[in-house]
Formats: sequence, C-alpha cells, structure tokens
Amino acid sequence: MNNIGLIIKREYSTRVKKKSFIIMSILGPLLIVGFLAFTVYLTKNNNSSYEILVVDEAQLFEGKLRNNEKYHLEWSPIDKSYEQVQEIFKSNEKLNLLLYLPSNLIQTNSMTAKCLYKTIPSTSAQKHLTSIINEAIELYRIEKIGIEEEKYRSIKTRVNLDVIDIENAENKNIQRKAYVGYIFAFIIYIFIFMYAIQVMKGVIEEKTNRIVEVIISSVKSFHLMMGKIIGIGLVGLTQFLIWITVISTLSFAILFANFPEKYSIENQIQTDNIIENSNLLTNNNEKIDEITQFVLYQIDWGNMFLFFAIYFIGGYLIYGSLMAAIGSAVNEETDTQQFMIPLTIPLIFSLSMIPQVIDNPSSNIAFWLSEIPFTSPLIMMVRIAMGIGEGGVELWEIFLSIFLLIITFIICTYISGKIYKTGILLYGKKPSYRDIYKWIKT
Amino acid sequence: MPRKNIIELIGINKSYQNYKALNNLNLKIPKGKIFGLLGPNGAGKTTLIRILNQILIPDSGQVLFNGETLSQKNIIDIGYLPEERGLYRKMKIGEQAIYLARLKGLSKKEAKEKLDFWFDKFEISHWWNKKIEDLSKGMAQKIQFIVTILHEPDLLILDEPFSGLDPVNSKLIKKEIIELKKKKTTIILSTHDMNSVEEICDEAAIIHHSNKILEGKVSDLKTRFQNNEWKISYKGSSMAFSNAIWGGWKLISHGSNDDINTAIIELNDSLTMNDFLKGIIEKISIIEVSKNIPTMQDVFLKATTNE
Repeated sequence: MNNIGLIIKREYSTRVKKKSFIIMSILGPLLIVGFLAFTVYLTKNNNSSYEILVVDEAQLFEGKLRNNEKYHLEWSPIDKSYEQVQEIFKSNEKLNLLLYLPSNLIQTNSMTAKCLYKTIPSTSAQKHLTSIINEAIELYRIEKIGIEEEKYRSIKTRVNLDVIDIENAENKNIQRKAYVGYIFAFIIYIFIFMYAIQVMKGVIEEKTNRIVEVIISSVKSFHLMMGKIIGIGLVGLTQFLIWITVISTLSFAILFANFPEKYSIENQIQTDNIIENSNLLTNNNEKIDEITQFVLYQIDWGNMFLFFAIYFIGGYLIYGSLMAAIGSAVNEETDTQQFMIPLTIPLIFSLSMIPQVIDNPSSNIAFWLSEIPFTSPLIMMVRIAMGIGEGGVELWEIFLSIFLLIITFIICTYISGKIYKTGILLYGKKPSYRDIYKWIKT
Repeated sequence: MPRKNIIELIGINKSYQNYKALNNLNLKIPKGKIFGLLGPNGAGKTTLIRILNQILIPDSGQVLFNGETLSQKNIIDIGYLPEERGLYRKMKIGEQAIYLARLKGLSKKEAKEKLDFWFDKFEISHWWNKKIEDLSKGMAQKIQFIVTILHEPDLLILDEPFSGLDPVNSKLIKKEIIELKKKKTTIILSTHDMNSVEEICDEAAIIHHSNKILEGKVSDLKTRFQNNEWKISYKGSSMAFSNAIWGGWKLISHGSNDDINTAIIELNDSLTMNDFLKGIIEKISIIEVSKNIPTMQDVFLKATTNE
C-alpha cells in the first residue's frame, strides 16, 4: 500500500506543477466570472428597438395599440392593399416587422393576427406584441359595451404566482436555484471529462513510453491504475478548490467595489430585511441587487460543495476507471474514438436532459436519471440545488444514488482492472470489443 | 547449507487465449552465476521473465525463490530491465530515478545517496535535472541500467541490455555486470547476441517453441555440440590431399590463400586425426592443425533448427 501512495504522489505532483494546471487555475475562474458578467451585461443592454408597420384592416386599433420607445408603431396608408404594404415593408430598410391585423380579428375570441419579419423577433417581443393586441381588442370591446377605460384599468390585475412548498416555506426561488444546480452540473461535466481523459492519456503515455513494464515489475498493475486514478482525481479536487476560492474572492471583490456600504458586517441584519421585500423591487439595479442577495443568502453553498465533491468523485471514478481501460487497450490516442463514444453519450445525454429535469424535478424521468450512476452525478446535482427534503429531492433518493454510484464504481474498476492488466502489455493490433470481452473473462 | 539455486521453476505452464507460451518448463538458475536465457523470437522468453517478475501468473507449476514460493515480498530482491523499456519523457531524470527506486523499497535518502554514487561513477551527474526527451537513446539506457541495479537486488534480469548501445557503452555495461557477479548477484541475461553469451555467461538455457530444449554450462554445451571437425592448413597440391585416404572422413570446405590451402574436414568415429595425418604427411607440408570448437552461435542454430 506504501507503493500506491508513491504513485498517487507522483501523479499528483507532476500534474500540479505543470504550467497548464496553473494557467487553468487562473483562467478557468476568470472565464466563468467573465462569462457571467458578459451575460448580465448583454441582458441589461438588450435595447434593440423595433420599427413596426401596422396594417389595420378594420381600422379599429389606432390609439389603442400601445406605443413605446422599444416598440415603435407606424400605421400603413389606408388606400394600400395588404399586398402593396408588403412591398413597402420589403423595400424600407428601417422597418423590422409588419403586423397584420385582419378585419375579422375582433369578431371572435380566437382569431390570428400575423407578424411578418425580416429577422425573427425575440420571444419577449412576440409576447409583448400579443399582449398589446389583446389589450387593444379588449379596449375596443369595453368601449362598445360602454365601460370607461379608467374602470377597465382598475379591474385589470397582474398577479404573480408564488409557488411555495407547504412543508418548507423557505424553499422559494426554485427556478433560480435550479440554474445554480445547472452550473454545478456543468462544472461536474467538464471536470469528469477533463480528468477522466487525463487518466486515459496518462495510461497511454506509460504504455507508449514502455515504462509501464518497469513499474508493474515493482507494483501490481491494479495499484498502478488506482494510484493514477486517485492522483488525478485529487488534482481535479484541488483545481475545484482553487476555482471556488478565486471565484468567490473575485465576486466578493466586485460586489464590495460596487456596493461597499451594503456588504459590511454591520449591515448584515439590515440586508436580511431587504430580501424579505425583494419581491416588490422591479428596478433594474435593484433586480441585480436582488440576485446578489439570492446568491449570498438563499443558496446552501455548504451542501452544494459537499455534494459536488461526492458526485464529482463518484462520477469521475466510474468514468476514470473506464477511460483507464480504454487507454490500456489502445496503442495511440487516435485509436480511442471507437471506445470513447459509449462513454461520452451518457454524459452528453444527461447534460441535455437538465432543462426537462428543472421543468419537473419530481417526474419519473428526473428520478431515474438521478439514480442511474452514469447520469446521476449531473442530474442529482440539479435536483439537490432545487431543494433537499420535503417537497424537494428526498434524502433516501440521494443516499440510494450515492450507494449505486459506489457499487458501479466497484464493478467498473474490477472490469477495468482486468482489461488494464492484459491491455497494458499488448502492443500492435488494435483490439476489438470481442478481444476485450475475452480479457475480462480470463 | 546455502541453497545452490536462486530460482527453481517446476512444471510451469502458461497459455494465452489461443496459444501455449510455456509448456511444462523446468529450470534451475544457480546462485551467483550469469545465466543466458536464449531462444528465437516468440519462443516464450518474455513470458518466462514476466512470470519471474510476477507480472504474469503461471497457469500451473511452481516458482521457487531461494527455496520458497515466489511472492510479493521478493519484488525488492529482483531487478528487471525489460526489452521494451522507457522512462517518463517529461519528468526530470533525477526525480524519476528516485521515484523508481522508492517503488523498489528504498527510502528517499538511500535512493539519493546511491544515485549520486552511480551518477558520479558513470560521469553523468550533470544530467540530474534534464528530461529524458533531451537525451539520446543510449544515454537513456544508461539511466535505466542504473535504476535497475540501484536497490542491489539478489537477482538481476536483463533483457537485451546491450541493444542500442555503442561499443564503448556496451563494454561499460558488461564490466558492471561482471562486477555485480563478483558481488554474488545472480544475473539472467536474455539476448540474441551470442558473442556476449560466450563472453560473460556461465550457464545457459535455450527455449524453443515453448519448450526448454537445452540447458547447461556454456562450455559443456559447446562440447556437446562439437563434432569431429578439424581445420588443416598446408602447402602442396590439394589433389594429393584429397587422394590421401579413401574412407572415414569428409571434406566440409576447402579454400586457398596465396599458396596456403585450408581444409575443414570431419572425421568419422573410425578414424583418428593421427591416422589421417599419417596418410597425408608425406605428400604435403602441414602448417597448422586444429580442432574446430563450435561457437554459441553454432550451438544455438543447431539446437533450434534440428529440432
């Protein structure tokens, strides 16, 4: 066992000393923070406005469609037909959209208006247009019945639905928490991939260097494989710790630089009160403020890091050991493709299933994907972020998935150990799946 | 009484998926000797060596190390230089030499001291902080040799230790091997280079088609394969020579250089060299008569092709 320690130490220290590790430790967090800042900046500055040409066949909506600085409406000449207006729309570069309101629009409750575009309008623009048309129709109708607009405005409501777990009223903001889970799942995905592939590369390196025979004359091949997997896994955890430290320092520095008075310790109590009232805030700056409040006080970072460590280690050990087997079976990296595909598919699949899991975290598919060991590291991370305990993911589900992860890891390392033992000493022909099956059997 | 053999292999069988690499192999390797392990490519030598290193486990049979079943604790008693050898290309030479020595059970301090001694001896101390990718193949091989013997094992297994070395370095390594033998190290030398077998091996075994076909002292093996072959250099007519005696011998080859002729002849059991000489001595003038001793090359070829 002393020897496996030596191997772990070598794998760890040679990698941590590498330039690429140091660069990744600094660049990774910078990229993440930069990317987040960039998206915030983009959403904040999404000020593209629309020049909209309206064809109002029944001539009923003028003055009723709300105009504002983002959506600038222009009424088409009455004497032109719809077809002629289309020509005008095409030839005028300034115009972005053509809104066609057919004359029968007000007659029933489910008619279709048309919106012709040159470049497709954003979903929020489409929503906005639908809502102002609905409003215009309503205004037209109340006028007909003889209700004053003022009265109409007074009965018009805009309700926010706060979805709250009866057993756990604290568990609010589920969707936002889900996105935090998404980010964690994504980091797990990157880390599993990055470090499992390093295991494979390390094995191929030792095999092509031909040093492997010297080493396995001193240690058991299984110890060499495990030492490598554990050593590289520790590098991954180190990297993650550095990232967390750098990211939180950076974020805190940015927050503190922007709102120095809010984040001093004396004002901590005061800030808690602000969260309580945060639902009422709509102003843009205050909205960002609300997000930082959410990030700082509503996410259980302790749990997130703990489960990140567990699911990263579990997933990494499974994928890492299988990658070690692949590395031992081939002679050079270009031969690995064929064997890597079955491993990458479940990872990419789980990543692509996350939106569905966020949409309904207690669905059957969410349950199974968070239990199956090849997908659970990513999916369970999302479910955990959305809340543990009553209403959220149950503790027994977490324990079961961890248990399955461990069982699978043991089976995978057992099989990989067998492949590794034979593969590492064979040079020449690239083995087929059948050859590998035979290695496992012997 | 100390045991005579460091290694005893009893009835070793090893098969791969569809072929047998070793067939009921029995072999004794005497202590303190240099033992040549010979055989054509694919004969099963590497399998045998890997079994000794516990990289492979035999299907059946017993391996004894100093009379006890070979086990993990013997790993530190064995030094192994594989034929397919290499080092980490990106790791500093000193660092990886210490790493490999520690895998063989040396402490960091011991490893450093011993490495300093050998690096000094081979005059390569300035390589300590270099990487393998900066060295030539022959240089890397020197490092590998040092790493193999560093922990002073009782048994040293060297697979083609001279391949890729220039004559100077080859001689250097040979000298070290002989030094090690003087310090009671047993050395198994697996090689195709029959000259070095002749030069430094005390005993040898030939493995062919998964079977051991020959085993013994190198000198005995040569005697065993010697036939009644003689070389005669003489002056005079070759006609006279060939007409001398009718039966009991055959001419293997004949050549001439200036006026000196050389004949290689093989005598039957019925004829002695004295008898033969009596028949020709008056017709030619003899310069030299000597018995042809086979080289290990001859032994190897005869053993592996006549089988």
